[in-house]
This record gives sequence, C-alpha cells and structure tokens, in this order.
Amino acid sequence: MKIAVCIKQVPSRDWHPRLDDAGTWIRESDATYEMNEPDAYALEESLRLKEKHGGEVVVCSAGPARVAQVLREALARGADRAIHVDGEALAGADAFVVAAALSAAMADERFDLILTGLQSDDQGLGQIGVVLAERLGLPHATIIMDVAVESSSIRVKRELEGGWFQWVTMPLPALITIQSGINQLRYATLKGIMGAKKKEIRKAAPPDGVSPRQTIVGLYVPEKTKKTQLIDGSPAQAAVELVRRLREEARVI
Amino acid sequence: MSTLVLWLVLVLSIGVFAAQVATRVRLILAAPNTFSFDHIGLRARRFLLDVIFQRQTIAERPAAGLAHALVFWGFVAFAGYTTTEFLDGLGIVDLTQTAWFAGYRLVLTGFAVAVLAGIGYLLVRRAFVRPVGLGTTVSAESIAIGLFIATLMVTFLLTYRLADESTAGRINWWVHAIVILAFLALIPASKHFHLLLSPITIFLKSPTLGHVRNLDFEKEEVGLETVKDLGSKMALDAFTCVECGRCQVNCPAWGAGKELNPKTIILQTQAALLAGDREARLAQAYTEKALWQCTTCGACENQCPVGIEHLPILIGARRGLVSNGDAPEYLGAVYNHLERRGNIWGLGYDQRQKFVESAALETFDPAQHDVLVWLGCAGAFEADYQKSMRSLFEILRARGIRFGVLAKERCTGDPAKRTGNEYMYQELATGNIADLKAAGPKKILTSCPHCVKTIGDDYRQFGYDVEIVHSAVFVDELLRGRPAKAATGDAPGGSVTFHDPCYLGRYAGKVDEPRRLLTQFGGDIAEPERNRENPFCCGAGGGLLFADKEEEPGTRISDVRFKQLRETGAGTVVTACPFCSIMLKGAHASAGAAGGDVQFVDLMTYVKDRL
Amino acid sequence: MILVIAEQRSGTLNRATWETVAAAQQLAAASGPAAEAIAIVALGSQIDGVAAELAAAQVSEVVTIDDPALALYTPDGYTAALQQVIAELAPTLVLLPHTYQTRDFAPKLAARLERALITDATAVKPGSSGPVFVRSMFQGKLTADVAAHGPEPHVVTFQIGAFRGDQAGRGPAPAPIRAIHVTIDAAAIRQTPEAPFQEAKQSVDLSQAERIVSVGRGIKGQEHLPLARQLADALGAELGASRPICDAGWLPMDRQVGSSGQTVAPKVYVALGISGAIQHLVGMKGSNVVVAINKDPDAPIFEIADYGIVGDLFEVVPAMIAALKT
Repeated sequence: MKIAVCIKQVPSRDWHPRLDDAGTWIRESDATYEMNEPDAYALEESLRLKEKHGGEVVVCSAGPARVAQVLREALARGADRAIHVDGEALAGADAFVVAAALSAAMADERFDLILTGLQSDDQGLGQIGVVLAERLGLPHATIIMDVAVESSSIRVKRELEGGWFQWVTMPLPALITIQSGINQLRYATLKGIMGAKKKEIRKAAPPDGVSPRQTIVGLYVPEKTKKTQLIDGSPAQAAVELVRRLREEARVI
Repeated sequence: MSTLVLWLVLVLSIGVFAAQVATRVRLILAAPNTFSFDHIGLRARRFLLDVIFQRQTIAERPAAGLAHALVFWGFVAFAGYTTTEFLDGLGIVDLTQTAWFAGYRLVLTGFAVAVLAGIGYLLVRRAFVRPVGLGTTVSAESIAIGLFIATLMVTFLLTYRLADESTAGRINWWVHAIVILAFLALIPASKHFHLLLSPITIFLKSPTLGHVRNLDFEKEEVGLETVKDLGSKMALDAFTCVECGRCQVNCPAWGAGKELNPKTIILQTQAALLAGDREARLAQAYTEKALWQCTTCGACENQCPVGIEHLPILIGARRGLVSNGDAPEYLGAVYNHLERRGNIWGLGYDQRQKFVESAALETFDPAQHDVLVWLGCAGAFEADYQKSMRSLFEILRARGIRFGVLAKERCTGDPAKRTGNEYMYQELATGNIADLKAAGPKKILTSCPHCVKTIGDDYRQFGYDVEIVHSAVFVDELLRGRPAKAATGDAPGGSVTFHDPCYLGRYAGKVDEPRRLLTQFGGDIAEPERNRENPFCCGAGGGLLFADKEEEPGTRISDVRFKQLRETGAGTVVTACPFCSIMLKGAHASAGAAGGDVQFVDLMTYVKDRL
Repeated sequence: MILVIAEQRSGTLNRATWETVAAAQQLAAASGPAAEAIAIVALGSQIDGVAAELAAAQVSEVVTIDDPALALYTPDGYTAALQQVIAELAPTLVLLPHTYQTRDFAPKLAARLERALITDATAVKPGSSGPVFVRSMFQGKLTADVAAHGPEPHVVTFQIGAFRGDQAGRGPAPAPIRAIHVTIDAAAIRQTPEAPFQEAKQSVDLSQAERIVSVGRGIKGQEHLPLARQLADALGAELGASRPICDAGWLPMDRQVGSSGQTVAPKVYVALGISGAIQHLVGMKGSNVVVAINKDPDAPIFEIADYGIVGDLFEVVPAMIAALKT
C-alpha cells in the first residue's frame, strides 16, 4: 500500500511567543520548531499500517527550508521518503494555500491512503486534510481512532462527541485525519537516525496564483485567565458556590 | 626417569594452561579496544591498595577477606619456592641446598600456617556456611582448589618431618608438584583465572564509578547488540569474575527478589564469548527483563573486588535494544517527553517559568552571581520538591550568596544515558553544554545528585569541565559553625534517619556532609541498614522511576528500602535527592497503615527550619 | 442573508445550534441599519420536529432538506446538499457550530465552493472591511483577529460555549418553514457509515472519560468510597484514583490515574483528598478544568487546580451532591 502522511512543523510547546513588527504573525527567527503533535500520531499510524500491510510511507510537508528538519525526523522514525513543498510564505499560509501546494505535489503519486493529523498546534485551522481530500477528489473521514484496511476499502472508527463513535467504510484511495492518542508514539532510534541520512527528500515548488482566503489582521497575547480560585466559606457554602461556578463559569456540568 | 616424568607432566600442564589462556586472550584482543590508561596515578594507587593490600576484598567481608588475603600473600611468597623446587626437579639447577633457601623456607613456614588457617576458614565457609552470594550449590571445583591449596601447605610443612630421599619424602614432593601442575591446568577455565587477570582488570577499571563511554555516531556505534560489540574491557571483566557474589548481594534488584543478578550478567557474558558465536544477540544472552531491572545504583561495580565494571555492559546492552526501538513502553513515553518538552515529565516550559517567577529567581549573570543554581526536572516542575528548593534559596539568601538560574534548562540527560538512549542523551547534553558555556558559571549548585553525576562527570566526555556541587556539600560548608535553633512550625525533631542517595553517597562519596548538617541542627541520626557509601537504592534510578510496575518477580525496591528505614525507629526520614523522595513517599503511601507515622523531609528544609 | 446550518442527529437538535443562532443575530444586528435576514437550514431525514423547534428562533425562515440519503450523516451527502442550498439562497455568511461533525464537512464544503472558512471563532469584532473573527492560536498562547477574503459567502464556525444559546432571540411567532428539494446522487456518497455506538462499559477507559472524580489518600478508608461514587454519579463522571488507593486494592488498577496508570484529559477532573504527587499530576495535567478538595492548603494539587476548596471532603462532598441535585 502506498501511504502518504502530511506533517507540519510548528513552534515547539516551550516557545515563548514573540510577534513580528507588523503584529500579524510570529517572529519566526525566535521560535524553535518541532513536529506538530497530532501529525506525529498520523505518522505513527501510517508506519503501523505499513508494518502490517507492506508498501511505503511517504512523508509530505509544505513550508520553508527549515521544514526539512521534521521530514528527516519522520524518515528517522521509519518513513521511506519525503516530499518537501518548499516555499517561504507557506509557514503562515491558510488552509486553502497549503492544501493547494500539497495537492499539486502529491497528485501524481496516486497514493492509496493519505493521513494527516487532526489539526495543527500553530494556527489550529483543522482544515488542510479535508480540503486536500476535496482537491484530490478523495473521500475522507476525520477524527479517526482506529483504522482497518480491507482489500480495496478502509473501515475507520470516527470519534463523535460525548463518548460516541461510529465506523465508516470508504473505498480506497481515501484520506483520513487522525485523532491524537490513537496510538503510542515511537521514539527516533539511533539506527533510524543513521538510516535517514540516506533517504530521499524530493523538493517541489508551490503552484502560482493561489491567493489566501483569510488573513490575520491582528495577533496578540490573550489576557491571562487561569489562576486557582480558592473558594472560601463554610463547607456547605463553598460546595454550593463551586457547583455554581462549574455550571456558569467553567460550563463543564 | 623422574626428571623426564616431571618434564612430561609439566609440558602437559603448561600446554593445557596455555591453550585455554590463548582462547581467552584471543577473545579479549578480538574485541573492540576499550582499554583506557588515563589517570595513571589514581590507577597505580588503587592497584597498590586493592591488589597488594587487598583493601576492597577485606573491606566488605573482613573475616573472609582477611582469609583470602592470607592465601594471596602466601601464594606470592611461595612463588620463589615453587620455582626453585621445579628447577631442581627438572634437573636444571639445584638451589635447594643453599643457605638463602634454608632461610627463605623458614620464613615460608609462617606463611604456610597462615595460608592453612585462611584456606581452612574459606573451605568451611563455602562447604558448610554457604553464603548466598556464592551460589545455591556448593562448587565442587572450588572445594577441590581449596583442598589443593591445603595440600600444598601440608606437603610443604611435611618436608620438615620427612627426609628428602625417603619414599615418603619423594611421594610428598611429587604430590606437591602434581597438585601445582593440576592447579595450573585448572586456572584459566575456572574462576581462579582471576589470579592472573584481576591485577590487570583492577588497573584498567575506570577511576570513576559508572563510567559509560559516549557512543561515537560517526563510527555508527549503536551499543551492544551482539557478542562482537562487547569491548575488550568487558571481555576481560567476563574472564576475571571470581564469582564471589558481592555484586549480587548488594544489588537492590536482586535484594527485592527480581530476576536481575549482576553476577549472572557477567557469567552470561563469559559464556556468550566462549560460545564463539559473534553474531549472537546479547539481549537473549541476558534476557531483556533483567536488563531493565537495573537502577544503575552502582553497588555491583563499586563492591567488585576484581575490577569488573557492570554498568557499561548493562547500559551498553540497553543501548543495543533502544537503538532498535526495543525500549519498554514506559520509556517510550519518557523519551517523547524528553524529545518534545526537554523534561522527564512532559510538562510545559511555562510551568518552570511560573516557579522561577514565584521564587523570584534571577537569570544567571557571572558578573553578578557567585553560583549558578541548576534546578533540574524536579526543581523546575515538581511542586513538592520546589518546597525544598525554596528552602535552599532561603538559606543562600540568608548567608548573602548571590545566585541565578539559566533562562532555560533541559534535562541533563541522566535518564536517557542510563537507559541507553544515547542519541537523546547527547542531544540534551550538547544543548545544555552550549547554554552553560554561554552563561559561563564557575560553580554550579544543585540539589539533584543525578545532575551532579551527569554534569560533573559525564559532560567531561564532551570536554566540558565545571565544578558542580550538591546542596548538602555547599550548605555544609556555608553553615559550618552556625548555631541551630528550635525547629520552626511543626517540623519534627529528635530521631532522624538519613537515606543516602546512591548518586550522592556511592557515586560522589559525600556521606559526611549531610550527617554533619543533621547533627549540627539537632538531628539524632539512627543509621539504617545499608548506609553511607553503600546505600540500598530507592528504586528510581536507571529510568525505573517511570516504570509502570516493577517487573515481577519480587517486591518494589522502594518498599524494601522503606522497610529498612522504618526499622531504624526514626520518625523522620531525611533525603537529599528528589527521586529518592518520590519513591520513598510512594512506598510509604502504599504501605498504608503499616507504614506508620513517618515524616519525609528534604535535607535543605530540615536545615532551613532550624537556622 | 446569513445562513445558519443546524446540526441534528436522529431528529434530536444539537443545542450548540442555538449558540450559532445567537451569533448570527449578533452579526445581523451589527450589519447595518437594515439588519440582515437570517435563515436556518436543517438537513436530514424526518426532521419536522427539529424544524419546528428551530422555528421558535427570531429568524426569517427555517429551510429543511429532507432526504433519505441524508438519514445518516456523510460528508459527501451533506456537501452535495448544502452546495445546492447555498447556490439557491446566496447567503453572505454561512455559520456553523464548531462540532466534530462540522469539522468533518465544513472544510470540504468551503473547498468545493472555493470560499473562505474561518474555524473555531470565539467572538466577532467589526473590522475595516466587514467583520473580523477572533480565534485562539498557538495552543492558546496567542489570539488572532482573522478576516475573510474572496467572494461570498464566507463560512465561519463558532467554538462551543462562545455564545449563549439561551440568549438566542425567540420570535413573537414561529418562523415559516420551507422545504427545499435537492438532488443527491446516492451513488456519489462514498462513505458508508454504521450506527453510532458508545464503547462497552466493562473495561474502564478513563482516557475517554469526559468527567472524572478521583480519590486519594484523603478518603481514608475503603468504606468511604461510596461517597465519592455518589458524587461521580451526580456529575455523570467516572471514578478514578491515585496510586495508593489502587495499591491498597480499594479500587482496581484500571482506575489508577498517573504516570503508572492512565493518562486522562477530561473536561473536568475533581480531585478528592489527592495531594498531587508528580506522578499523579502528569497523568491528569491535560484536564480542562481541575477541581481540588483537600484539607492541606499546601497540597501541590492546588498549584494546578482551577477551583479549590481547602476543607474536609467529608463535609464538602455531601454538600456538593446536594447542590448538584438542585
């Protein structure tokens, strides 16, 4: 089976946000980067599918030159080769532009199955996988918790809200977006890291003439809200007040 | 005629001896060279103490050690006698009638009596007392060798009673000679090979405990996967093992009833080498289960009287597994935390920042600060240990010490290094070294003994050399002579027991400083079983802090240690390591009511409350 | 015109739809002196009840697409149907609640139409050229104001809870309900969905629990566990525990939360008598809202709690159970 997995490079979680001069994007030079965590689960799932059904895993990413780092990481974890759509402007682009870039580079490969993470830890649009499926004319399913490949179709377990699930069957080729936590991530092994140096990264140019459908007009640090609220009073009063705040403030019950 | 017979027997014996030695020497020389001769002064000193004066052998088991020393010294003393007698017997030259020989023989009489006493004690111990470390069955070979030695001494002493040329005298001479030659033939294939190898092994043992060489990625080293990956020192170690079981009885995993037995690991290495299959997988030779039970406490290596280094083998074999993705699942999670968050917990960096701000810590500046405080994963993230860090800060501030912290820290890489994830260790280490070099501290202070070992010792392999001290040592010096006052708040007083962290007591040898602090500030120390330089591990080291459940069989190591501490009767357990603290508190909590009313206090908080 | 796409399953309206109606009403009110009209579209099979419920809203009309091909949700079916409705109604904005179902088809719909899609918005602000939508980015480290471009309609999804559903304006009389017929080629629907199901209950998977009540050593004895269980029932929560509780055998090991047990991420995590040892904290740090009840004000759990009560859980918990029942 020919499997593609799309990954994104995002600022690492311990990055302290700094804005660019225009105040509409981050100062990329200040950030340290890592593989988008949901995509790491998609990569892991694709490697498991390859181990089970054979074939190859091609890891694809759209972004500036620095993206090669996460592609190498994916190769070290077991992907067979990589496609890098190389474009400086892709880092902060919207789903429309990124999906167009990916689909242009991936269309000719005729993958049997494409996996992406549920959403990215940077802009968190949660769209690219589905838009990519539409552009490539593939059926899709999102928020997948289990994958069973049958001869020419795929049966996947979608997570619905409130603890509900649903199995969905689609013909192959297809695209699925993977829910974080679907599997236990493997770590990069020394042997994998050594082997990754010899694997191919194909570079592709993004297509011309795709204009974004949305732009960030302002970016700012939100006001801090999270602080422990200690509730005073008698035990009975405190309990009533706690239940009130859980209902009305936190709205979790 | 008898000369000819002796020649024949001698050639036969030497032939058997040489063939077996050659097999083993070839195996040692075929292994990748890992012999190291640095710190020659330290090595020479240790050679003198541990080989000539038998320090290590006597230290742990005084009676058996002394008995062994008597036999050893007797052996050395008899070398000239044996040579002279053989030169005579082989018809080369007869020096037995000289005056010096008579005098020498007279001196040897004393040695002979001492050896007899020694070997008699050891024989009784092995055959009847049967200490557990020597194995479950009585080794027939060891009994035979013991009887050989006794026979040699008896036949020597009999020469005073029997005329040389009498039949009885001749028989006596021949018994002596044949026993020696039989012994010679037996040496290389038995634990008595240590007679020849242990002086070399002791000399070649690393001067620092738990010294595990960095892997060289340029040479595509990935750790110990197969027999051919074993280094020359490891092969030497395998043939040197004297099977005394000191490593075994001091091993906390073995002590808690687990599968791991460090002595078995060495003997399995020996068997794997002799089996001759250089492609045989080491994880199978040892069993993966045993490999992952090691806490890297260092007791095995530290107690070994013949210079064996267990940790490079145990950690090397773990490396071989981890490099292939075969780490236990719980470590996979830790590796992901380290890789993605730079700390063992997988917590966000903002959590550390929150602590740094709430404790009003400044970013280190060499122009303004005397010392850089290294928080470590526990100090930066663990709410409980942050309390003891705050105590340390209070002490430092009270004494006018100016200190700062790094803007950003990664885990030192200790858990990655000890569990065999060398790639991750080197990533973390090189990142930290770059940050530390940029910050430029002359002295680093930390409360984590694992950080002391990793930064202070392991980082030297990258050429980074800095002074790092544990807070117990720093504060002991800082407060020397300061008066104590009654404890503030509800801090307990009276009887305390101190749990030496392995990486502080055994690795760093800092055992007096914490005790001095406790005593100075009113603590009445009740010492537990296994203390000072040879503590019983809490069970956290070597990545086992993260183990879901310690592997069956056996109990939790932390439960065993907690029981030992509990048996001192002290109401307060003082520790000086965040991980010991976590493990022991966990053991106390699990013990429920049986755990009794025990308070856990970190050393820094203990001192702060009484300053 | 602003079009709200309602969400229903098996004839039951998802209440988040009301939040989207509220958002639409706010946008319509801000659109100028002549407020824009609002239409709600409900799609599915046998959805008269849903349509009638929605007609209570102060909107100009409720449109229904009733087709057996839409009985079970599929992204292909929904996209095909909505594409035709949007072509017919020509709205300027299409609004949806940011549910799992929306996440599944809205990007496809927007891509099919080649229109902008702004997801998971939490608020709307006036901008220089049309409204800007506020959304969280970079794991909540930053907030962005986002503007849509290109031809209308622009599609926007709103975070659950960003608007108050109970504040959606109700009309003086029910809004008219109009059925629109679309053609859906059943053969073009490539997904074959099965009936939704809930995971069997016998094995506890705390990692999927939405609410968890967890007990620690402060519960003192096994005989007090029913108290915690009552609270869990009142909250609709699963029961979890810290290591000592499971070690003692008071609860089975599969209830253990922490580095040596399960890693959980519920919406609300109530820690009863749990001090918060690090191994426990790493197992539940992903919880959305943490509530701690503990006698010890210095317990580390308070460091990460959102709401805390320093007090005796044996007094607080019964009062909580009583309060939850009102």
